[in-house]
Amino acid sequence: MSKEKLMEGFFNPESIAVVGASDNPKKAGYIIVHNLIQKGFQRPVYPVNHNVNEVQGIKAYPLLSQIPEDVELVVLITPAAMIHSVMDDLEKRMEEKGDVKALVCAAADYGETKTEEGINRQNRLLETCNRYGIRVLGPNCIGVINNLNGVDTTFVDPGIPPSDFKMQSGISIVSQSGSIATSIMFMGASRPLPVKFNKFVSLGNMTDVDFIDILEYYERDDSTRVVGIYMEGYPKGKMLIEIMGRIARKKPVVILKVGRGVKGAKAANSHTGSLAGTDAVYDAAFKQYGIIRVAAFRELIDTLLTLERMPMANGRNFYVLSQTGGFGIFCTDLLEELQFVNMPKISEDTCNILKEQMPVMSTIDEPEGYSDITVSASEEQHAQALTAVLKDDKVDGVFFLTVTPTFLQQERLGHCLAEAYNSLEAKYKKPAFICIMAGDYVKKSRCVLEEEGLCSFDTPNEAVVAAKHLIWYAEYLKAKEVRS
Amino acid sequence: MSNLSGSYDEYDSKQLLASYGVPVCEGIVCTDVSEIAGLEEKMPFPWGMKILSKDIIHKSEAGGVHLNIKSRTEAIRSFDEIIASAKAYAPDADIRGVLISKMISTGFELIMGVNKDPQFGHVILFGLGGIYVEMFKMVSMRLAPLTRYDAEQMIGELPLTKIFKGMRGKFYDKGEVINVLLALSKLVEEHPEIEEIDINPFFIFPVSGCAVDAVVTASQKYI
Repeated sequence: MSKEKLMEGFFNPESIAVVGASDNPKKAGYIIVHNLIQKGFQRPVYPVNHNVNEVQGIKAYPLLSQIPEDVELVVLITPAAMIHSVMDDLEKRMEEKGDVKALVCAAADYGETKTEEGINRQNRLLETCNRYGIRVLGPNCIGVINNLNGVDTTFVDPGIPPSDFKMQSGISIVSQSGSIATSIMFMGASRPLPVKFNKFVSLGNMTDVDFIDILEYYERDDSTRVVGIYMEGYPKGKMLIEIMGRIARKKPVVILKVGRGVKGAKAANSHTGSLAGTDAVYDAAFKQYGIIRVAAFRELIDTLLTLERMPMANGRNFYVLSQTGGFGIFCTDLLEELQFVNMPKISEDTCNILKEQMPVMSTIDEPEGYSDITVSASEEQHAQALTAVLKDDKVDGVFFLTVTPTFLQQERLGHCLAEAYNSLEAKYKKPAFICIMAGDYVKKSRCVLEEEGLCSFDTPNEAVVAAKHLIWYAEYLKAKEVRS
Repeated sequence: MSNLSGSYDEYDSKQLLASYGVPVCEGIVCTDVSEIAGLEEKMPFPWGMKILSKDIIHKSEAGGVHLNIKSRTEAIRSFDEIIASAKAYAPDADIRGVLISKMISTGFELIMGVNKDPQFGHVILFGLGGIYVEMFKMVSMRLAPLTRYDAEQMIGELPLTKIFKGMRGKFYDKGEVINVLLALSKLVEEHPEIEEIDINPFFIFPVSGCAVDAVVTASQKYI
């Protein structure tokens, strides 16, 4: 079977065996089985544990080799020291049945420790798996999630039930670090509408499966519409960039890369040499290949959601609609600093519509590209303003800032805005960055917006940065089109 | 195409760059002080005189740069001084002579070059040149080979881009910069053995430009 085909063993296995499965809720081997049940994985799960007959109500087997049915994915959560006996047993199984396609080794204390023992364990794992053509993810990782079919090999309990992850998404994540992968998952869970990532992989030691395997899988995978990456370093940089670039022409790729130091850069005597640190080169390559680089975790998630949910921007003319002067000025300042977005003057017609519909105290298009609809604006007036501005031909997108929910009914505000947006003709459905700025207090309002397919942001800071990435990517795609 | 190898002095570096269409301030190589007499007929004063040695990169530091030379007497004195101070600065350096060029008016100082990254191969660099390179680090980079679009993006992403848009009626020649960046890309594409190219400063003018100083270094493995 081809290496690519075997990757299905991780994302779409016919069955999963969990070696080290447990009935003790404090153990990682408990959470893995628990997650698989909770997420409704519909195919067989075989706990392997030689001390008990069943785990969480599912029949358990003392050894991997004793499971009579076919096993496609093996998850190892046994202590690293047991690797030799587990591999002996896996070899026995493969000689008899030859059915396993993929293996996730979650445990740590392998090659990453750089001790002789750790390296030996890792070598043993690889040796057995290579011999039988089994793909290995890890060791030292949290493994794989595929939220489309309930595959979850992680020992991470996200703290809220799977049914609370209401935001279905085409966002697939690959992370070099397990803890950061976990953190991204929790941050997604903490959004007003918890984000259900499409697929999720933590790579760990990358003994076999690495960035390239996963990215190529995401490239082929139609349900993955946006790719998010956390990366520390990778030896085949050029190859990786080329793959990311190939994907970026079809779907957005957003990366958070750390390691900005110049370690590895050749010490050179001239200026040119001293300026070309490895990270700076990565940075240049990302720009060249249309890969969006972010600098912060929240920015990563906001940008992924923006790219998945919003249409591409046709230009840089973004209008600022604000319910209060303070946040309007704040947002205008940010845009001016960024020098990336123009604030367009809207047409007389649009001005007239706004003057007619908005509260009398409103300031319309003054200064250019900015209207303040005042705190007396009702939910309906919010919606009317959004509609009028998006329908203006000079406008490519909008920042909509609204602050105090005191006079407004939260769900109603969300519904009015979402309905206004969703009932626009397709050509007017331009990027809309809506900020409802009252922290968790306005969660209900934001939930409605997000349930209706829009994005919502904490403050203009997040919105403006996400907008910049969206515009940049749109321009990259356009230039690419022109050139090819 | 023949392989390049080792480091090249300023004269040879500029010859190579010029053969790819990079505009350079040409000069005449003087290996002996006796060659100075009569040179003013080929190249009118004032002159700039620089030590020519592939082993000396920081020429000013070595006392190897004399500018605004206005007479033959001055030139002869400068020649001796330059050679003497370069020898004192780097006793083991292989000194070819002195490179004499016509003084030109100062342009806006840019840096352009190529570096070889162990992972990504040749990386083309553009930015603010002169002595403030290190201080401001206003540079952009792209992997070779470069497209025209890439070159434009490299310029466009720096605040430096404003000089090409014009300020107080003064514009600089952006097209020339793009040509040089593309020439560098072509040069390293045809000569993968090049390790490094450093043009600093490159004077950019309202029309055209000129590589004032340049160093090319190639891998030693072909020697």
